Amino acid sequence: MQTIINLNYDAQVPSPAELVDLPFMRTAVAELALLAVAGGLLGAWVVLRRLAFFAHAVGSSTFPGLVVADAAGFRPLYAALAVALTYAAVVWQAGSRAAGRFADAVTGVVLAAALAIGVVLASDVFHSGARVDTLLFGSLLAIGPGDLWAAGVGAGVALIATLTVGPAWLASGFDRDGTRALGAPVAAADGLLLAIIAAVVVTSLPAVGALLTAALFIVPAATARLIATSVPALLIGSVAFALAEGIVGAYIALWLDAPPGPSVAVLGGLVFTAVALATAPAKRVTA
Amino acid sequence: MLEPLQSGIGRHALADVILLGAIAGAVGFWVVSYGLSYGAESLSHGLLPGLVGAALIGAPLVSGALAGAVATALLIAIAARDERIGFEVATAVAVTAMLGLGALLALAPSTPQRLAELLFGDPLSVTNGDIALAAGLALVGGAILVVLQRPFAALVFDPVGTPALGVAPGAVRTALALLLAAVVCVAVQSLGSLLALAAIVAPPLAVRRHVHSTAQAVGAGAAVGALAGIVGIYASFKLDMAAGAAVALALCAAAAVGSASPARRREPRRARAG
Amino acid sequence: MTPLVECRDLAAGYGGAPVLRDVTFAAEAGEAVVVLGPNGGGKTTLFRALLGEIETSGLARLGDRVAYVPQTDRTELDFPVSAHDVALMGALAHGRWWLPAGRSERRAAHDALERVGLAAQAHTAFGRLSGGQRQRVLLARALVQEARILLLDEPLAGVDPASADALVGLFHELAAGGRTLLVSSHDIVGARRYHRVLCLNGTQVAYGPPEDVLVRDVLERTYAGEIVMLESGDEAVATQHHHHH
Repeated sequence: MQTIINLNYDAQVPSPAELVDLPFMRTAVAELALLAVAGGLLGAWVVLRRLAFFAHAVGSSTFPGLVVADAAGFRPLYAALAVALTYAAVVWQAGSRAAGRFADAVTGVVLAAALAIGVVLASDVFHSGARVDTLLFGSLLAIGPGDLWAAGVGAGVALIATLTVGPAWLASGFDRDGTRALGAPVAAADGLLLAIIAAVVVTSLPAVGALLTAALFIVPAATARLIATSVPALLIGSVAFALAEGIVGAYIALWLDAPPGPSVAVLGGLVFTAVALATAPAKRVTA
Repeated sequence: MLEPLQSGIGRHALADVILLGAIAGAVGFWVVSYGLSYGAESLSHGLLPGLVGAALIGAPLVSGALAGAVATALLIAIAARDERIGFEVATAVAVTAMLGLGALLALAPSTPQRLAELLFGDPLSVTNGDIALAAGLALVGGAILVVLQRPFAALVFDPVGTPALGVAPGAVRTALALLLAAVVCVAVQSLGSLLALAAIVAPPLAVRRHVHSTAQAVGAGAAVGALAGIVGIYASFKLDMAAGAAVALALCAAAAVGSASPARRREPRRARAG
Repeated sequence: MTPLVECRDLAAGYGGAPVLRDVTFAAEAGEAVVVLGPNGGGKTTLFRALLGEIETSGLARLGDRVAYVPQTDRTELDFPVSAHDVALMGALAHGRWWLPAGRSERRAAHDALERVGLAAQAHTAFGRLSGGQRQRVLLARALVQEARILLLDEPLAGVDPASADALVGLFHELAAGGRTLLVSSHDIVGARRYHRVLCLNGTQVAYGPPEDVLVRDVLERTYAGEIVMLESGDEAVATQHHHHH
């Protein structure tokens, strides 16, 4: 057959000091730390409000926007932001019309269409095929100072929103009808949550790519959910997991000469599995 | 106009997408009705490391797809056991980890550059073996759909009262899950890990407002799937675009048109007379 | 004559402590029994126990095939099936589910729809029928199933008063045909129209004919203060704070 396994990922383990010595690694670590704050906080809401399919799909839906921006040479952030917010608006509308189980199918079709449009643009229109991997899975080298600013703003928005609108999100997730009866603008609060998730997910695209935003926006929060017994504990634990997985993931990416998205994702999956297995017996006793 | 038919590659691609589109569109109606759209997405995305692994060792892609799908399903099942996590988040965690693993394997410096093909598929590269596989799946899957038609419909219509009719819910759901897994594993060969989903969820969306019985929905879904496959291959020849993406776009366009066009209302037959 | 439904010292639950205890009653063929009780009082648990879906202790004996008629909003309304298709689903109980429905099965579905007064709507989409009509279609499914024991989960919830009266009339006709109906309900006033009343509140509070059971003492113990009682002559008329959802 045409290939032989050669997974001899260059075994030379880099010194952890390179995380701060190499300028591009300094940028990457700072970026992932900021994203960990944003992803950890918003991830907690994603997990509590069961918005996982949305959070996962909104990142992937930005792919065609990224391809166009990449080829046309303007900042991918703006194109991706436009696509993601449009997507959030569509989901918000569809959700309020209660499309039932066909809503998931719509999400799936939109997702597949976005990916198909993106690949057609990349391979047949702009012939930028070689960059597709970077757009889908992120890159340590693609992170610029502008991205750091965007991630910082994202982290700030996530923090402020959690402190101010958080109680409304919690109440509406616990009892939607009751909260509406209290006079709270449930639909507006939920729409704001979708919009903020969509906007902040976009800031993570340079680092983890369109396909793997869930590595920062779902997996750490899901892991924290296994052990946290209160909402503040969930929020803090989620940020802590995201921070640790983001930075160690960047280190592994440097070691393997791979994009950071996949290494953060695999690391997150392993940590989740370990925590799930470690906490499973304790759960059975209390049940 | 007959361009695709004149080349062996085109004929192969057409045969493959017609067979695959038909069975995926037919099974898709039940997949969507049972609320398994997200499950279909996660299986097809999560099996990526299996595909990459098979490509690395030169094994048939379908075997890698199968291994990847089984691993994904197991991961989801383990994660979803914890009630606080729930099925949706568990699925997101499992899919993210598996996609990451696939990318890590595929993007290793020593791996051949086949990732794009595994992600987005290429119907133009199918072999006789692939077509035989698709034909086998269409035949066996179609037979299973005919045999299970009534239990499938009864259980999704009324999950609470149907067990009292002697229909075992677990057995019916397991049969559907296996059917879905088989379709996904075969579909990823020509449509890729990221686009196979379209073949399953787009046809039911296209037909759902225009059918009056479950048998019609399954049949119309199969027809839409096969037709979209043909349109996609012709478009890819005419417009010189990636064939897998062209088929996926044709499927999504069918879903959009089918959802937007007004439903055909059928009045009760005797109401007008009386 | 052996009763169609018989429970003795029945307890049922979901793995932990039983949520329903000390249920002892017998219902004959021809009887329509209304099951009253607060939410969480054990109405659904009793049905699930009779269907054999949950753990039980004690005796629960069913003398014939049992059909379950769910609340219609629990069924899939956005699903391409006609009233005839739904009635035909009852034929699955007779085996041969792998074959397309045969002529005799179609005949049975048609007859059942006629029996519940919906022959004219046979080809109307289920989701486009009114609440009362949907309930009739589900009854037709039970008739096709040829079950003599029918468990109905709040069939009158959300049905307008005229349709509800007609449905209760249909319940009596079906019972008179040699069946036993257990009908869960929140309607204490309407309960007097059934042959027997079963009151549940975690345990069996009372069972018997309406005139014996529908009295202040029993209803207070059943609903434990959740109820407003109005006296009119000898009769206790009760209204309940509704907790519909």
